[in-house]
Amino acid sequence: MAILEEPIKKTLLLKNYIGGEWVESKGEFHDIINPATCKTISKVPSSTKEEVNEAVKKANKAYPEWRRTPPLARVRRLFQLKELLEENFEELSRIQTMEHGKTIDESRGETRRGIENVEVAAGIPSLMMGYNLEDIATGIDEYLIRQPLGVFSCIAPFNFPFMVPLWFAPYAVATGNCVIIKPSPRDPISQVKIAELVDEADFPPGVWNIVQGGAEVAEILLEHSDIKGVCFVGSTPVAKEIYKRCGQMGKRVIAQGSAKNFILIMPDANLEKTIPALMTSFFGNTGQRCLSGANAVVVGKDDVFYKNFVEAFLSAASKIKVGYGLDDGVQMGPLQSKKAKERVLGFIEKGVSEGAKIILDGRKVKITGNYPETCFLNPTIFEEVTVDMSIAKEEIFGPVANIMRAKDLDEAIDMIHASRYGNAASIFTSNGKFAREFQYRVKCGNIGINIGIAAPMAFFPFSGMKDSFFGILHGQGKEAIRFFTESKVVIQRWW
Amino acid sequence: MHLQTASQVINYAVELEDKSTKFYEDLAEKFEEQRETFLSLAKENKKNKLLIQRTYNEVVSDALETGFSFGGLYTDDYLIEINLTQNENYSDALSKSLEIEEKIQKFYVNTAEKSKSFLADVPRIFEKIAKKRDERKEKLKSLL
Repeated sequence: MAILEEPIKKTLLLKNYIGGEWVESKGEFHDIINPATCKTISKVPSSTKEEVNEAVKKANKAYPEWRRTPPLARVRRLFQLKELLEENFEELSRIQTMEHGKTIDESRGETRRGIENVEVAAGIPSLMMGYNLEDIATGIDEYLIRQPLGVFSCIAPFNFPFMVPLWFAPYAVATGNCVIIKPSPRDPISQVKIAELVDEADFPPGVWNIVQGGAEVAEILLEHSDIKGVCFVGSTPVAKEIYKRCGQMGKRVIAQGSAKNFILIMPDANLEKTIPALMTSFFGNTGQRCLSGANAVVVGKDDVFYKNFVEAFLSAASKIKVGYGLDDGVQMGPLQSKKAKERVLGFIEKGVSEGAKIILDGRKVKITGNYPETCFLNPTIFEEVTVDMSIAKEEIFGPVANIMRAKDLDEAIDMIHASRYGNAASIFTSNGKFAREFQYRVKCGNIGINIGIAAPMAFFPFSGMKDSFFGILHGQGKEAIRFFTESKVVIQRWW
Repeated sequence: MHLQTASQVINYAVELEDKSTKFYEDLAEKFEEQRETFLSLAKENKKNKLLIQRTYNEVVSDALETGFSFGGLYTDDYLIEINLTQNENYSDALSKSLEIEEKIQKFYVNTAEKSKSFLADVPRIFEKIAKKRDERKEKLKSLL
């Protein structure tokens, strides 16, 4: 057992990063707790309205010059940022583990995925190009150019404190916009560290800003007339509200909401390879991700296959080593907070009371190492779950797996479609026809075929359907370029 | 110890490289006539360590099975003894180095196999180092 060194040695007092300056907030502060050790690692403010307005003002002021900066020059700042992120890779990863609780492998994976977005955004000189056609009529040419819009804000969730703002911010600034990031008030340190590197990379003041705070700060950003667009990742009720409000105010919006993802296990699935993928899917990031598996549907009437699957799934889950993510042998960390744990406990109790059979009870906490149980749970597995139960319908956001049965693929797809959400779904099979049918018919934005976590790479959009996504264009890749730019069409003739 | 996560595997690979570096640096000090040879092996180990860490950091993804795919790897199978006793002569030391190389090579071959389906590039680097380790054994045998 090797516990990696903690990069945060004393309590950090977090500031806002506004107009290229670190500004102490006059707002109220609250503690950020390492969920594994329960020690305070930082204090974060809830910024005042004046501070948020000041950030918007500074970003708006920086915009005209940044917009006129040639794309190649803008991209050089991103290259510099990428280098700095690489140099600080390990520290950034360990900070995520300290503030969120995820394992060090998961944190490093998150860091890598974040950096990949900076790399893709660095392709702006090509990606931002428009198109043209000569002689649309005699002597008349037409062309399309992409132009930035101004200031965007990003309202980030707690489950990927490093990566999610990087789905948006690098594309926003690469295309010539300025950005204001509001990290989650539950784990804001990673974004502060990124902003320190942004500062070192010498972005002009006001191009990249951080304001700390919760819903009240989000509200100010949402209402501000100088904010041209909002990127939000969080729960469905909030995503829906943000979408509605942005529509009313004429702002662009990407609003990603909750999920309840189904994973189909066909009778021809290779169980040996499927089980590790399912462990990552259901229990990775302690179940706190919008792409996590939630409902495992075993398809077919073969009772022997069903029994074998349940045994293998149960056996693997019961062996998961739970503990502090900086212990490199740990496979699952704590929930991000005590409140998050209580929410999951509530669902487990609901599952029991609704008649699901609990075959692995994560409430019996067993931790590797000597840490308080406050935020820890072990994996929980329910069997005999039906689609009408709340544990099958609602997003639990914790390490809870529901095992269900469907007589055939049609019935399993119907079960997926009965859900209000459409974020992700996966199928494990050796049969190409099943896979093709699944990909073709399932109404979910991210599809996995023999993949437990269908997480799109930076050069693909992070999709989502139904109540999991509100908007038209998505974060990441080419869609992000379109989101952060206006298409202007020019038709010209010279006499 | 059972190695189960990618992080554990990478850290253990680094530990093996560090230990064998120390071993060759000690040999260089003790056996002057082959000083350069042993120091070059130690230098190569340091390069291997950086290569492993860099490759892992470049391909690691939280969405893949980094925490659950290394079942069956036990450090007991790859323990290496790097301390030289006063009585050990040149030939004993070389025999010991061959044992070390054998164990480390076996570790890389087995780990490459287990990470093949999900850690792009890491298996290739492990296989490359395993091959170098194999070539190194021939070199060491020639010094006997």
